[in-house]
Amino acid sequence: MSRISQVYATSGDVLSLPFVSSPDGAFFEDVKVGREYTSPGRTVTETDVVLFAGLSGDYNVLHTDAEHMKGSLFGERIAHGLLGLAIQQGLASRGEPTAAHALLAALKWKFKGPIRLGDTIHVRSRIVGLKEGVKPGQQLVTVERQVMNQRGEVVQEGESEHVLESRTP
Amino acid sequence: MSSPRVNPSVAPSQLYFEDVELNVSLETPGMTLTAAHVTLFIGMTQDVSPRDNGLVPDLLPLCLSSGLGWRVPRPPLVVLAFMGFEWRFLLPLRVGDTIRSISVTNTKRSLREGGVVIEERRIVNQRGETAQAGKLTLLVAKRPTS
Repeated sequence: MSRISQVYATSGDVLSLPFVSSPDGAFFEDVKVGREYTSPGRTVTETDVVLFAGLSGDYNVLHTDAEHMKGSLFGERIAHGLLGLAIQQGLASRGEPTAAHALLAALKWKFKGPIRLGDTIHVRSRIVGLKEGVKPGQQLVTVERQVMNQRGEVVQEGESEHVLESRTP
Repeated sequence: MSSPRVNPSVAPSQLYFEDVELNVSLETPGMTLTAAHVTLFIGMTQDVSPRDNGLVPDLLPLCLSSGLGWRVPRPPLVVLAFMGFEWRFLLPLRVGDTIRSISVTNTKRSLREGGVVIEERRIVNQRGETAQAGKLTLLVAKRPTS
């Protein structure tokens, strides 16, 4: 039984999960190449950064030492890049069909600029490809994402591949 | 006889670009994935991607490896910025699994300000199976010249 099958077996209809508004559904057949989505925004706060340092154990001065960072390239503390990635994953899951953020198979990601405390980010995503997976009945969906700040600057961007099952295996 | 200005038996407190050794494998301590990690992570990210009970969010092990990465027998690297990464998700990880991270720097490229370090990293489970792996690109400071 594949990972996706287990999801269906335990949770029934994934479309009924709370917080997921999913116009296009969760199957391979529901994904349309070229379709674009825009997520809601979210303000990245000092609390987010402190909690993420505690959870991840990454206490690098970039994220935790305000005095040291005054003399740095950025002039102030910045959010962990991986915090930005994790937050955008959550934001994307509120704006995309379930199928576009199913289990990750691969990720290529660039941190293009800092996310500063107080910045508000949102995600733009586009379905760019569909292909056969390794196992029968399994498909891979490729999604391009850009994380934008409130000034319209792209602070992170990349491409992810997600594993999906076909409705008609 | 004058004493040396730097005692060579004292390890440097920080590791600069020049100090990074190529092809040296560094292994972190283990970290057991718990329901608390999952709850905190989902609460922070609001990632509602479908998964069955017990599977941890795909990005959680990678995030934990960023903290584990500091807990290796070498001084902390002076990272100026995390530039990007490529990552593959190979095996599911569940609550109760214990991960550790093994990394090797295999490329260094000097720039005018700092240098680029490319690190191959893999996250293994308690059976030594590679669950996630990829390469990370970091911008690292050069040793101050003064």
